[in-house]
Amino acid sequence: MNASLRPRFPVRKPDLWLRQSDSENAIFDPATDKVHLLNATAVAIWTLCDGGTTPAEMVQAVCDLSGLPEDVAEEDVMRVLVEFGDAGILTWREFDRGDDEAEGA
Amino acid sequence: MAAVEEQVRVLLADEQALFREAMRVVLSSQDDLQVVSEAKDGQQAVAEAVRVQPDVALLDAMLPNGDGIHAAAQIADRVPTCRVIVFSGQEDERVLLDALEAGAAGYLSKESPLVDLIEATRAVHRGEALVPPRMLGAVLQRLIQRRRERDAALRRVGGLTRREREVLGLLAQGADNDEIAQRLVISPETARTHIQNMLGKLGVHSRLEAAAFVVQNAVMDELTEVAT
Repeated sequence: MNASLRPRFPVRKPDLWLRQSDSENAIFDPATDKVHLLNATAVAIWTLCDGGTTPAEMVQAVCDLSGLPEDVAEEDVMRVLVEFGDAGILTWREFDRGDDEAEGA
Repeated sequence: MAAVEEQVRVLLADEQALFREAMRVVLSSQDDLQVVSEAKDGQQAVAEAVRVQPDVALLDAMLPNGDGIHAAAQIADRVPTCRVIVFSGQEDERVLLDALEAGAAGYLSKESPLVDLIEATRAVHRGEALVPPRMLGAVLQRLIQRRRERDAALRRVGGLTRREREVLGLLAQGADNDEIAQRLVISPETARTHIQNMLGKLGVHSRLEAAAFVVQNAVMDELTEVAT
């Protein structure tokens, strides 16, 4: 695959605590002592940031579930991922050879 | 003159008459919702859905005589305009995923307040998907996994020759060697060779496994063009 077309994978920063209750969802970062409040959709996206799922796959799943147009779902997903990045609770992993093998499997 | 708002026609299905009655009272209290039929088991739910063509069907997952998931699949197939909500006793990820895969538009727990049924009914009628927020991540993960499996299956089917795809399509329809040979105007030995090659390329060990591969991955459409 052309390197410029290779996807990147969002990865949750390790050692964060996710606390969910009926009324709120919070991520606590012990390294910075910061608490981040998330809505239900953001928590769902957060759980998908496992280092093996691309943003395009997240967008497609949101479309499959909600029936939203792809451009709207993409805007929503990317906005959440950018916010995670700005908050310092997300990093990105580059596509590597193991992903090639998994894709062809 | 003010336009008369069309009512959402609702089918209720639950084994317990008391719970059906409670749901009916709650929904009927709303001017825009109308309970048009009730059922106490899965078969009756499907029959009533076909008969009254409701806009929304509320089905208990644990219906007797054909459970709610099975009934949801039947209704989605036979009354495609009807939006189905499946509910169960407790939030259950397995039930939710099965319900969505059966074609349901939403899932609700019986632990939810009864009044939540009102907004849930309106929401699915508007075309929205109804998933408890805490279960959203698992649902998206499952959808991603399913798409990956289907993409992988399509890649495997793409590795078959046209003849092997024809053989796979016929095999998935239940044809034996002789039928396949007859349909494709080839000898039974040649049919057997195609089958062996096709099984090897798909990485399955038997005809049954190959047929299951087609059904599980919903790839029949990729084969029907040549198999019918």
